[in-house]
Amino acid sequence: MKKLPFFLLVAALAAVLAVGLAACGGGSSTSSPSTSEGGSAESESEGGGGEAEGNEGGTLKGAYTSFPDYMDPQISYTAEGWTAMRPVYIPLLTYKHASGEEGAEIIPGLAKELPKVTNGGKTYTLFLREGLKYSNGEPIKAGDFKYAVERAFLTNSGGSPFYTDIVGAEKFSETKKGGISGIKVNEKTGEIVISLEHPRGTFENELALMFVAPIPQKTPDSDQSAHPIPASGPYYLTKSEPGRGWEYERNPYWAKDNGKQMTEIPSGHVDKIEIEVLRNQSTQVNDVESGKLNWIFDPPPTDRYQEVKEKFEGTQFRTEPTISTYYFWMNQTQEPFNNQKVREAVNYAVDPAALERIYTGQIVGTQQILPPGMPGYEKLELFPHNVKKAKELIAESGIKDKEVTVWTDSESPNNDAGTYYQGVLNEIGLKAELKILNPDNYFTVIGNTSTPNLDTGFADWFEDYPHPNDFLFLLNGENIQSTNNQNFSQTNNPELNKKIDRLAEEQLGPQQEKEYAALDKAFMEEGSWAPYGTRTLALFVSENINLENVIWNPTFETELTSLEFTE
Amino acid sequence: MAPESEKQGTEAQVPVGTGASEAGSGFESDGARVVDADAGDGRGSAGPWAIAWRRLRRNKVALFSLFVFFVILICCLLAPVWANQVAHTGPNTTHTLEKLHEGSEVKEVVEPSGKAIGPQWFAAGGRFFLGADGHLGRDEMVRLLYGGRSSLFIGIVAALITTLLAVTLGLLSGYYGGFTDTFISRIMDVIWSFPVVLLGIALGIALAVGGLEIGPIHLKSSSLWIPTLIIGVVYTPYMARPLRGEVLAFREKEFIEAAIAQGASDRRIMFLELLPNLLSTIIVFFTLNIANNMLLEATLSYLGAGVQPPSSSWGTMISEGFDALYSQPILTIIPGTAILLTVLSVNVFGDGLRDALDPKSKVRFEARAGTAAEMDNPI
Repeated sequence: MKKLPFFLLVAALAAVLAVGLAACGGGSSTSSPSTSEGGSAESESEGGGGEAEGNEGGTLKGAYTSFPDYMDPQISYTAEGWTAMRPVYIPLLTYKHASGEEGAEIIPGLAKELPKVTNGGKTYTLFLREGLKYSNGEPIKAGDFKYAVERAFLTNSGGSPFYTDIVGAEKFSETKKGGISGIKVNEKTGEIVISLEHPRGTFENELALMFVAPIPQKTPDSDQSAHPIPASGPYYLTKSEPGRGWEYERNPYWAKDNGKQMTEIPSGHVDKIEIEVLRNQSTQVNDVESGKLNWIFDPPPTDRYQEVKEKFEGTQFRTEPTISTYYFWMNQTQEPFNNQKVREAVNYAVDPAALERIYTGQIVGTQQILPPGMPGYEKLELFPHNVKKAKELIAESGIKDKEVTVWTDSESPNNDAGTYYQGVLNEIGLKAELKILNPDNYFTVIGNTSTPNLDTGFADWFEDYPHPNDFLFLLNGENIQSTNNQNFSQTNNPELNKKIDRLAEEQLGPQQEKEYAALDKAFMEEGSWAPYGTRTLALFVSENINLENVIWNPTFETELTSLEFTE
Repeated sequence: MAPESEKQGTEAQVPVGTGASEAGSGFESDGARVVDADAGDGRGSAGPWAIAWRRLRRNKVALFSLFVFFVILICCLLAPVWANQVAHTGPNTTHTLEKLHEGSEVKEVVEPSGKAIGPQWFAAGGRFFLGADGHLGRDEMVRLLYGGRSSLFIGIVAALITTLLAVTLGLLSGYYGGFTDTFISRIMDVIWSFPVVLLGIALGIALAVGGLEIGPIHLKSSSLWIPTLIIGVVYTPYMARPLRGEVLAFREKEFIEAAIAQGASDRRIMFLELLPNLLSTIIVFFTLNIANNMLLEATLSYLGAGVQPPSSSWGTMISEGFDALYSQPILTIIPGTAILLTVLSVNVFGDGLRDALDPKSKVRFEARAGTAAEMDNPI
């Protein structure tokens, strides 16, 4: 009997020890620093430990400040999501894995070659490569492309407007039934024929976007962010935990099958990639400096930016220009922003110079839709900063003390930009209240037109492809959707809509660029947006990453396949 | 000290130590005098409140803490005076591109690198006395004072709400017993079962987007009443349960039986017989709750579930300063120090008040009746 209490004590101590060990274990942010490992690119090596053999192998540890909007190729429409899924889902066509202008070049992806365009630009014919497989071993079929396009509509993807010109797509978009008749596939030959209602000058660019990356046809037509879809690219997602992080491993069918045919698409250097969501950007910087992290998606926070730049530029840090526009949208379907004078007043009141300071020089002030570097860009200066003029316009509009809600996300310095904007609106005579949302779901909330008090707020847009339609389609009223809406201002000018549609049909040339410039001016004269800057981003990697070889694609930003450990 | 963390038991955790777990209170409702050195001449003629006051007066540390608290309170109440007369700016007014002229020197309030100007003290006539707060260039001193108003408002008003709810529920629950006691106690148990901070965050975030609409009451998400109500409600069980225990004990006393026998109504008994005997406990709880509430408000605001930006509270200022922790740690240190001083002064005063009202010290002294020994703090 005396032994029993002692036995219980030992059992209790063992239980406490087990719980303590379990609590201390796990958590990638506190795991040992990543090290490169031996092994070829084709081997499935374990993460952590081991000596490096060449630049191949190892486990890359990275961090994002927020989880992407979606980890679903048909639905995600943010740089965060696209960078994350770039090495996982390959469309029929894809963008070259290169920096600068070369990175905007379209090359064959899952298709054998670039499409044959016939019938006055209304018919696109492609052939799927043979013998391709998903990461789960399933063969990739021609019908998977058709399903991908249909799924973009079924999930109300923000990218679905790009494909409404396909015959039958509009009807499918409304009914969600019957399939898209304008896409015909032949599983035996792999032929895919896409018929358009009318020519579309940007269609090849849009075929290269992830929205239409083929996926298995049994994939449910709902958000699969927590249930990774099988991959066609060099990596596949082994885990995805919304809000927390995700992981990749090499696609076992890439080296054997897919990669042998798609030689222009890099296979990647590391064996595993582990990405965690680390909200504190200063901690991200510290972890990169210490080697706990190898790469971070977001640039260093404004507070640390100069310090990191001075200390690491050229060795672990470099800046990257982007083709982007940061702006404040104004909902034109309700007061007060349905009044053009109010929108003009806002443009006069917002001072891009102040916002440059708030972004610590990481934006260059601008006050128009198209950013520098985009074909069709012609500099406009319609609204030189003038608070007095802004107040006069508000007085002329007859709007007084109107309550408005300003939306922004909590990621620095967007939250400060929102605070600044709220102050500006209060200064000119409105009564602005600020709402700051988690960046994980900010765009989902403001992209839902039924969200109450959707008056005005922060947004940004980065180029999908080097064509002005990519920016101006955001202001086409025909693209307003109830969910995943990208036309946050809900701008809807029928005359300008028609011009956008017409120009989208034509191939881009000098005449079209002039017309796009005129459209830019027309929308700005209406005060559709209050743009304030074009962003410069930055790449910051740990000491054991080869910075020189990291590719920054103009659309997909950091090419994860280019990250490699130094010798 | 005040109960900072979550449930750790019942009346045993009562910070007051007024003997809620034991029968009786130091203040008999029949006004019986007690022999006490603090009564003056030792022949016992002073009332219990006078005795408590004399005890408190001898506690210089507690009085000094009260003084500090009042200084902070008055400074915060005078925030509009500082803002208008000295700093010439508001708490949310940005000065991102502004230049400060100090004699022949011109300084940028916010440099192109994003670094904000540091404390200027009176070099610019009081403007940016404690510097500017990051990229927006808002006056840190003005925000500190206005933030103090928010934090103190929430701290004090939430304590009032807690007191009101706790006294009502404690009285009803303890006096009536039975189903009423069971029903109220279970509700308190449900609230108590959630860690205070997590419950506060959950409620705060839920109400931060759409505000609160209950019948005719509509509170915007930016209203200070939202975090105030949340904090007031989540701390209610921590006061209601000990009060209930005291009421249960008093209910069995002869003076209550006498009141019942005389035909006094339940309401009269609760509010005119029982409540006065709970006052000492209530007062001490109220004081200590202010400190707890301010800490919880700072936590919630720091996490984005309390006071909504751009309104300032000391918690939001810490959160905003955290973004600049490496380059300008002073932006976090200033509001943190303000919270520290306020909470410390309230807690020390609350401890002193508890000692002054604590019946244990009276009982112990009675054991040495007739001597003029110093009062020992029994805790």
